[in-house]
Amino acid sequence: MAHLIRNLKVPPNSASLEEARKRTFEFFRMACRSIPSVMDIYNLQDVVTPSELRSSVAAQIRKNAHVTNPKVIDMLLFKGMEEFRNVVEHSKQRHHIIGQYVVGKGLVQDLEPKDEGISNFLKNFYKSNYA
Amino acid sequence: MGLGLLASRTLRSARLRTTNFHHLRRSIVSTTELQNAEAAQAQAEPSPADLPPRTPLAGARVHFPNPDDAIEVFVDGYPVKVPKGMTVLQACEIAGIDIPRFCYHSRLSIAGNCRMCLVEVEKSPKPVASCAMPALPGMKIKTDTPLAKKAREGVMEFLLMNHPLDCPICDQGGECDLQDQSMAFGSDRGRFTEVKRSVVDKNLGPLVKTVMTRCIQCTRCVRFATEVAGVQDLGMLGRGSGEEIGTYVEKLMTSELSGNVIDICPVGALTSKPFAFKARNWELKGTESIDVSDAVGSNIRIDSRGPEVMRILPRLNEDINEEWISDKTRFFYDGLKRQRLNDPMIRGPDGRFKAVSWRDALAVVAEVINQVKPSEIVGVAGKLSDAESMMALKDFLNRMGSNNVWCEGNGPQPNADLRSGYIMNTSIGGLEKADVFLLVGTQPRVEAAMVNARIRKTVRATQAKVGYVGPAADFNYDHQHLGTGPQALAEIAEGRHPFCSILMNAKNPCIIVGAGVFERPDKDAIFSIVETIAEKAKAVRPDWNGLNVLLLNAAQAASLDLGLVPESDKSIESAKFVYLMGADDVNLDKIPDDAFVVYQGHHGDQSVYRANVILPASAFSEKEGIYVNTEGCAQTTIPAVPTVGDARDDWKIIRALSEISGVRLPYDTLSGIRSRIKTVAPNILQIEEREPAAFSYSVKPEIRQEISNTTFEAAVENFYMTDAITRASKIMAQCSALLRKK
Repeated sequence: MAHLIRNLKVPPNSASLEEARKRTFEFFRMACRSIPSVMDIYNLQDVVTPSELRSSVAAQIRKNAHVTNPKVIDMLLFKGMEEFRNVVEHSKQRHHIIGQYVVGKGLVQDLEPKDEGISNFLKNFYKSNYA
Repeated sequence: MGLGLLASRTLRSARLRTTNFHHLRRSIVSTTELQNAEAAQAQAEPSPADLPPRTPLAGARVHFPNPDDAIEVFVDGYPVKVPKGMTVLQACEIAGIDIPRFCYHSRLSIAGNCRMCLVEVEKSPKPVASCAMPALPGMKIKTDTPLAKKAREGVMEFLLMNHPLDCPICDQGGECDLQDQSMAFGSDRGRFTEVKRSVVDKNLGPLVKTVMTRCIQCTRCVRFATEVAGVQDLGMLGRGSGEEIGTYVEKLMTSELSGNVIDICPVGALTSKPFAFKARNWELKGTESIDVSDAVGSNIRIDSRGPEVMRILPRLNEDINEEWISDKTRFFYDGLKRQRLNDPMIRGPDGRFKAVSWRDALAVVAEVINQVKPSEIVGVAGKLSDAESMMALKDFLNRMGSNNVWCEGNGPQPNADLRSGYIMNTSIGGLEKADVFLLVGTQPRVEAAMVNARIRKTVRATQAKVGYVGPAADFNYDHQHLGTGPQALAEIAEGRHPFCSILMNAKNPCIIVGAGVFERPDKDAIFSIVETIAEKAKAVRPDWNGLNVLLLNAAQAASLDLGLVPESDKSIESAKFVYLMGADDVNLDKIPDDAFVVYQGHHGDQSVYRANVILPASAFSEKEGIYVNTEGCAQTTIPAVPTVGDARDDWKIIRALSEISGVRLPYDTLSGIRSRIKTVAPNILQIEEREPAAFSYSVKPEIRQEISNTTFEAAVENFYMTDAITRASKIMAQCSALLRKK
């Protein structure tokens, strides 16, 4: 596993939506494959099951289902990869994983559907008082 | 070798010689030329007349009541014209020269006992105390001569003789006149070798901390208490080195202005008790803002450190609060830290509040407001609301189809049509021109302490007469109690009362009606009687408008300017949806049990107990908002500290709620909402300018109401606790327990 991740590089941009889609699935599969070792590293057996973690990862990806620009998908994949690497390399601690993927979903990361059709004012209002 | 080097060499050798000489004599004076003041004076030749023009100190202005009385004096050779009767110190200020002083204060009587302001006057044998010496024509004042410097150095030495060396633990450190002036004018050593005297500290109550050993007996606090505050609590005891400031008997200082002695004390003898050992003044960030605890809108400076308000100080505004503020204004800031609402909350079926996200809270409110009938929606703005949020609330509820929106304290049927009918037309500064006051149902001492200070100033300066109609009350100036109910007014209006002749003979009569009258059912009748009196006494003329209303709350004037008037006065009894925007003094029993109550505000105060949803808002210290004071002067607060928790500005909450409810308000920014206000009440945007009302009582419809026999009631029960912030304040609670007049 470890050598595989070490050799990860920033891939060239996806040429088409089809390619970006393929990469997304590859990324998801890689994340799923790492779940047992992640459970092991962070000692998550008694708080979560592998299937729950899988659906949590899937939910993170589905959150951006509306994105159609391959460049944006590449960027999101890159960010996902970064996060993935941090998790697998034990750069995080147990409470990070529990906080982000097990309990308080949406507390740390915004898992709600994107606010479609609301004004910028309201978006800023939800974010903070100073925007 | 340059010329400069040569010169410095000779200078150095000369200094060497003098230092040796001093070593032998061990003198106190650090500046060598002061050793021989007379000789040095002979050396100093008069400076030529072509001096650059100087700017008066701190914006000091000369007002010539009579142009013939102008006299010319010379300050350090520079000629200045001053009116007759001005003191030497004032002349120097106009000439742009700051004279060091401790006891002199421009708003207090002259004591002349600190001797720090000594200057040299030509042909005078001794240095003169400039604060007490009137300027005479052709006087040649010298402020910078060796003689004056030596005199100051000597005075400093005497003052420091008995002053403790505790600056590191003194709260005044960093803003202490004695510290600054001893750096500027003092010597670097003293000759005093005995034991310093110590003085027992006095207990002046929960606001003023005393360390009486630090006192330099300038008597500013004594003069402030007797002259401005009008209480004879403080005084001077003993003589010579036994001299002490204190209350004659064990007694607290019971003035509503007592906090100002902290500001006028030039040393650390009187400091703020709540602020003691909390911060140093150089750590604090000052924000120039406006006070909201009463309708006066005193100018204040909020000193904050990080997210915390550390203290509140007055800011000079000659038209409103001069340089004083009331104790409530100065000390209620600790309420900003207690009982704050920091998350949106929804009351669950078990009656307990649960913190939710803004999305959920707004969604719930929007769902309910869309289910009720428009006529069953009611909105109440609170005492501390700014103009922007009241505008947003009115626009929002109007778009929902309801017109039942008002501001608390304005009574059931407020008169918002004639602006002169709800503001102080004379203006606060203008009260000084009045010669007879008639106070109707108002106790300015507790309702608006700064207005009361102005009336007291007038009464003290011109022996103006004060008549008072209302319940027995405490005044700090001479007054005649004319009666307790509206009957006394009727007697004055019919000319049967002895006070009537005083009022008729007055040149500038001033009638002040308290806003407590707004709550009375017969308020229209009372106002019509007051207008009759004003007409008879010729109180409303083109050059003088002496018919005033003294409002109680910071939001009142702006709410009436914006037309926050309910459609029907019984709307709250039939309401199904009640939106309380910081309104904590509405009668909660009147709200039906099945009504849905939304409370938007910054403190968990009375209305929270009834609320179904809580939307946290920011307090006045955290937002920018316009407030119109009782004389109609619009001023704006400036955010000093960040908001608490997940709170939002008031108008933003209403704007966000309007979008979710499907009636999106058309403004997204503060400037957007202000341009909306401009179409409703353009006077609100005249920041820091007083917009007088065009008076036209003649257009008022005739009143067919009868006055009732019920006596006037006190509008403010407890001076120290009037709104959500002051009720949350611990200091205010201590004050009400100890100082409240029963």
